[in-house]
Amino acid sequence: MTDVMDPGFDTHSTEAPGRPFRFRVFRYKQGDRAPHFEEFSLHVAEDTTVLDALTAIRNRLDPTLVLRHSCFHASCGTCGLRVNDREAMACVTKVVDLKSPVIKVEPIANQALVADLVTDMVDFYARFNAIGRAFVQAVAGPPDAATPEGVGHYSRFENCIECGLCLSACPIVASDPRYLGPAALAAAWRAVEEPRGLDPNAILQLTDDEQGSWRCHAAFECSEACPANVDPAGAIMLLRQRQVGEQLRSMLGGRRR
Amino acid sequence: MSERLVEQSPAGREGVDSAAVQRRTDGASPRRRGVASWGDPRGRRLGGWAFVLHRVTGLGILIYLFLHLAVLSLLARGPSAWDDFVSIALSPFFLFFDVVLIFGLLAHGLNGIRVTLVGFGLVVDRQKAMFVALMVLGAIILIVAALRIFEVG
Amino acid sequence: MSQASSAPHVVVVGGGGTGAAVAHDLVLRGMSITLVERGELTSGTTGRHHGLLHSGARYAVKDRESAVECIEENRILRRIAPGSFELNDGLFVAITPEDEACEPLFFESCLASGVPARRVTREEALRMEPNLNPALRCAVQVPDGTMDAMRLPLRFFATARRNGATIKPFTEAVAMTIVQNPGGRCVTGVAVQDHMNGRRYEIGADIVVNATGPWGEKIARLAGVDVPIQPSPGILVAVRGRYCNMVINRLHESGDGDIVLPQRELSVIGTSSWVTDDPDHLAVPANHVEEMFRQGSAMIPAIRSAQTRATWSAARPLIGERGASTGRELSRTFKCFDHAAEDGVEGFVTISGGKATTLRAMAEATADVICRKLGIESPCRTREYPLLAHTDYYA
Repeated sequence: MTDVMDPGFDTHSTEAPGRPFRFRVFRYKQGDRAPHFEEFSLHVAEDTTVLDALTAIRNRLDPTLVLRHSCFHASCGTCGLRVNDREAMACVTKVVDLKSPVIKVEPIANQALVADLVTDMVDFYARFNAIGRAFVQAVAGPPDAATPEGVGHYSRFENCIECGLCLSACPIVASDPRYLGPAALAAAWRAVEEPRGLDPNAILQLTDDEQGSWRCHAAFECSEACPANVDPAGAIMLLRQRQVGEQLRSMLGGRRR
Repeated sequence: MSERLVEQSPAGREGVDSAAVQRRTDGASPRRRGVASWGDPRGRRLGGWAFVLHRVTGLGILIYLFLHLAVLSLLARGPSAWDDFVSIALSPFFLFFDVVLIFGLLAHGLNGIRVTLVGFGLVVDRQKAMFVALMVLGAIILIVAALRIFEVG
Repeated sequence: MSQASSAPHVVVVGGGGTGAAVAHDLVLRGMSITLVERGELTSGTTGRHHGLLHSGARYAVKDRESAVECIEENRILRRIAPGSFELNDGLFVAITPEDEACEPLFFESCLASGVPARRVTREEALRMEPNLNPALRCAVQVPDGTMDAMRLPLRFFATARRNGATIKPFTEAVAMTIVQNPGGRCVTGVAVQDHMNGRRYEIGADIVVNATGPWGEKIARLAGVDVPIQPSPGILVAVRGRYCNMVINRLHESGDGDIVLPQRELSVIGTSSWVTDDPDHLAVPANHVEEMFRQGSAMIPAIRSAQTRATWSAARPLIGERGASTGRELSRTFKCFDHAAEDGVEGFVTISGGKATTLRAMAEATADVICRKLGIESPCRTREYPLLAHTDYYA
């Protein structure tokens, strides 16, 4: 790999030959009376993602377009959008996979709009802060693996990338501002499963509430939308199972664990 | 060689602190899609349809319940009022609504089984398949019921 | 919470890891800070980097200075930001006889640089990491780690903001306010375009810090100065499947695709190197993607058939003159340019180079230069100051 300036064919090109795609992008600046859609036309390659397209639009066609992005591999959770009415991470959504010549791009729902495709995640994080959350989990590793000398046991980040797609997809979050929501409830279940210094009983009791785990109506849209295998709906149901168990135990005279 | 230290987000206030949210967004509140979004079919997946179906049939059954009580109160007005009602009840138009009612009862009842099981953490990983199976069962029952009903009429 | 109005006001241009750490350091030294970033925080190079918390072992043989810097910052980051890393250590694996021949020098160089290293037999390596190429010959364990590329800098932002800094994303620096004095030119502020509301306004500053990474030259030109920053992109490939818990490095001379590390449920292979003039248009070259699979599967064979999650490029800001052929020859240490000394322009400082692991050290050096320029005596406190959680940025 020496003596080459920009080697190889650009697999994420936004100037490749072929039919152009139409991007209908949600636009809003603070002070506007109402949002509107603007159309941009781009050619894409096989691997070009929605994020590649949007950044090309910003760099070449309209430098005032604002959008959130950071890691380019669905690890930071910032580029969540609604693409053709479905929640998606723009950085791993290939334009050609959408199977549509028109790509509608909007910000995620149920968060405060800052401008264009940018939402302020303060409401999203307030829910986590309400219950507390550990970010790193212990991982057992393969059964016959040994940990390195000096490392007690392997650790890894929790799956949740804090993208907010689950809250955007949830029909209850859409209609009730008091519902704690799938992201925080999934984190609550993970804290009950693996406390790591948090108090699982306090979290169980806090979420055993009509606006906590019991507000979910099993639409499972959150788990469909989640890009990180968190399965929030599954976590909510497991949380309920544990909460019912605790209620029964205390009713039958036992103490809460 | 390495330290294992776990960091956690600050645990604190119960529920969502709306005042804090308002401060940070300069008054712009979350753009909630609202109850109207329940009727928006775009982007909706199977579980979302189950949710909407459950709401709609639930409301429908509730309305039916009141109608049913109103009809039963006709009994108090004697045999001729009741006989008048029965003659309307056998018209094809009315029988059609009977089928609609059965659809609602089946959809709500069978999905209700799924919601109940899943809601206690049972069969969660197969819940989509369970929904499909229950709806297929419901469809079969509905067709049989519809055939039986229109035989009578 | 707000700074005294008599405190010097520093404007930091660039909201990556460097800018975040600079804001954090300067706020603790009593200055008033405004940071502007044209996009989302860390949306430049910082968010995209591999995610390696360097032990410095990789530089022990060829770049002793970098290695010493890395291991020191590695220890500091573990202390001030616990919980932002997967701390499973790393392995340098020798696959071929040529690799194995490098091992003694590599091991000695690590120890000489202060990087803790432990020799590991083939059997032990395979017990720790069963997915490794069974043809491996030996390995060396070092204190590498995986960091969350976006969330670690976000902790610096959260702490700086809590201590009074003003952080303004989606605010693009479009011009510098320059005053012509008898003694020379002086930058007295930054004109910005606020992309949230479309307004343009000026922010006055005693000093402007250019912390824009590979865009450093573009921003420096706004002040009428030139800095030798060469954007040097590299490619990264994320595949589905967590094939290792430790950071797996190839024990050989620095080359392409010789690091595989875990991130949640993914394994990320990197990286390569080429040079470009435009950091806003980074290709994702097909031949580089193929090379990542080739090199990655040499260490972990299962990678060859793994499903691709994402492929992307990130531009390193390398300090050096233009004309270098691949970027690997340029220095990886950082440099703070005081443009008063270099170009006769007061009030403007550029920090560039470096790597993600050394963000705090880069900030310390920059803050020292700024204090010197402003005639302020204020020691750095960031080695010990614990950072807030990243979620506190939104609190």
